[in-house]
Amino acid sequence: MRAVCILATAIALSALPARAQPAQPPQDSPDAVRQMVADARRDIEKYQASGATAGTEDPVLKWDRSLWEVHLRTPGTEAGALAAVEAIRLLTQANVRDRSEARIDSLGTDDAAWERLPSVIYTDGIARNDLSAVISRLSRVAGSTTSPTIKAAALVTIGRAYRRTGDRGAATRALEDAKAAAPNTRYADEASGLIYEIAHLSPGLPAPPISAKARDGRKISLSTFHGTPVVLVFWGTT
Amino acid sequence: MEEVPLLRQLETKYSHRAAIVGISIDVSLERVDRVVKEKKMTWAILADGRGFDGAIPSAYHVQGTPEIYVLDAEGRIAKRLDSAKDIDATLAALLAPPR
Repeated sequence: MRAVCILATAIALSALPARAQPAQPPQDSPDAVRQMVADARRDIEKYQASGATAGTEDPVLKWDRSLWEVHLRTPGTEAGALAAVEAIRLLTQANVRDRSEARIDSLGTDDAAWERLPSVIYTDGIARNDLSAVISRLSRVAGSTTSPTIKAAALVTIGRAYRRTGDRGAATRALEDAKAAAPNTRYADEASGLIYEIAHLSPGLPAPPISAKARDGRKISLSTFHGTPVVLVFWGTT
Repeated sequence: MEEVPLLRQLETKYSHRAAIVGISIDVSLERVDRVVKEKKMTWAILADGRGFDGAIPSAYHVQGTPEIYVLDAEGRIAKRLDSAKDIDATLAALLAPPR
């Protein structure tokens, strides 16, 4: 009889929270952080659609605080690194400059967040048209971190930034350094791809030759088009 | 695929002044031929059925679609674009008489 009671209670208890709300990812897990980011984006969109009402707090600041709490609470974990990156992404996208700068400066250069942060800083640098700030900040990180992957991640992004400014020599040097810092990693692969693009696909270089039969039987070669511009469209049916 | 109507317009607009070449990253040539017919794509279509590993996508280091290279009249790379929307302005600039 007692066993039945305990069982019934257990069933009743386990049924309650399940009915009350859908399954949540475990607290402070990477999935929980992703959920927070999705919620943040929804809140921010709503806030902007409603005309950013005076007197109510900008959800960017609220979500930055919540994400940063996760970062501080879970040092050295994937969730903690992700939370820091996503908080900084929200701040830079909303152009909350002083806070995003403070957050970035507060991260030690060995913090795992730096593996993902360079691309966030790069995107922001393009938006603000200030790639030299991106290059100098990431150069400091690459020079002081003891982590080979963080060094490589920073150098790959420095390479991208130099390429965008048109300095092919500096770009290639940074990318070669990235390969040397962390061989056989995805950063090295990315660097190799970019080095190829700089050497073969930069503006002003002769296009890689094309010589093939089109589906309708025409023989296509780039030299046939000499004297007219050509648009090469890489496409897929799906 | 959403670029097709735009490419059709560009082909009419630039008929003799610029060429369009579509390079498919599909693995099914039958599918390519069917879609080319359905969508009335009249420009040259290249496809070797090897996807992104095909000779031309590899040489151009293509990793996604659409990816577009505009070449100048001398066959040099003028610009790499991520969207067909920017083709018109790029071609117009290339074809503008030198100042």
